[in-house]
Amino acid sequence: MSEKITISFTVNGENETREAAVGQTLLSFIRDDLHLTGTKSGCEIGECGACTVLLNGKPVNSCLVLAIELNGKELLTIEGLSKNGELDKLQQEFIDHAAFQCGYCTPGMIMSAKALLERKPDPNDEDINEALSGNLCRCGAYQEIRAAIKDAAKK
Amino acid sequence: MSYLKAESIGQALTLLKESAPESRLIAGGTDLFLQEFPERLIDIGSIEELKWIEEKEGFLEVGAGVTHTIAGGSDLISDKATALAEACLQVGSPQVRNIGTLGGNVMNAAPAADAAVALVALGAVAVLMDKDKNIRRVNVDQLYAGYNCSAVDCSSELLLKFMIESCKSGEGSAFVRFAARRALALPMVNAAVRVKIKNGIISEIYLVAAPVKPAPTRLLKTEELLLGKSACEETWLKAEKSAAGEAEVRGSLLRCSADYRKHLVGILVSRAIQVAALRAIGGKEEG
Repeated sequence: MSEKITISFTVNGENETREAAVGQTLLSFIRDDLHLTGTKSGCEIGECGACTVLLNGKPVNSCLVLAIELNGKELLTIEGLSKNGELDKLQQEFIDHAAFQCGYCTPGMIMSAKALLERKPDPNDEDINEALSGNLCRCGAYQEIRAAIKDAAKK
Repeated sequence: MSYLKAESIGQALTLLKESAPESRLIAGGTDLFLQEFPERLIDIGSIEELKWIEEKEGFLEVGAGVTHTIAGGSDLISDKATALAEACLQVGSPQVRNIGTLGGNVMNAAPAADAAVALVALGAVAVLMDKDKNIRRVNVDQLYAGYNCSAVDCSSELLLKFMIESCKSGEGSAFVRFAARRALALPMVNAAVRVKIKNGIISEIYLVAAPVKPAPTRLLKTEELLLGKSACEETWLKAEKSAAGEAEVRGSLLRCSADYRKHLVGILVSRAIQVAALRAIGGKEEG
């Protein structure tokens, strides 16, 4: 039986204290314990980026991080982007550009883009390509994704 | 399954001493999720003393707990050990680079780990401390016992930092890789070079290509051939031919055939030397 550890952290601006199993991934913790299912499970080996969340403001693959590493840190998931029912400008631009087909990669894409805009409010194509290089879209919506991020940056 | 977190080097050593022998150190742990998960973990990823980057008496010291993102974005590393910064920025993806550490990259002992290849070409020395606080210094290429197998027993020793002689005027380094995609793809071949050029002549050279052997491997015959040669097109062609001939590579069903890999070793080594040489003489880089 895996040992359980009590962890305290911030998720989408709210303080939380929970128990997490030692071998549990952050991805499983977010989906199964916090019930925040906007974060998607894809390859589970750090190759697709569908499970990307921001840990202390930096994008990470939640499938490659232990849940207990969350202790004392700030977690931002896709659910934390909208404020008072209003979508984040990135979410709105993704919708306006129809920057997806199946939409499975979208939460991860938006979280990587969010970190990029925090770091670089006016990114060029190369910056966007680099920031999204760990996020795969098998529908191939890359052109629209890039356009959505550029337009979000203008707002 | 148990988990202990060390907040300092001293605490990590105490935990190592008190823990069961099968305890395993993790620093980042991104590769760990791809393997059978160890039963006992000692997490050293948050130890601040392992996250320093500084220059002391002509040596760049880079803590084993420095992430690839931090190393790749460090002006000091870009300036004094360019190949390492370049290599770090090509590991995995931004998400992996934000978590994975230099120490982990080396201790995981993959034969073509980008940062490890650059460290070997830069002549980096690993500084390790055992449970009784004895220090030993080992060249990074001596840290490998076999494919994906480190020579360091991480149940009794802690990797503290890497020491790299800072590149001075007349010296340059470079890292290049070739993979099926520009991100998130293991390299078919990667190569790194450190070169010193005096009056247009190559006076010192470290040349590494991988995956050639279990450890990032210096191509000693090609290094010898290039010493004393002038930094010019003819020499780069010689380097290409010699490196491709010298490298004893294996083919991989997933990545590429041995013949193709051999060809790539020549091309990449030649490219890396040219970029490093340009940096050594202070030339202008394209793009």
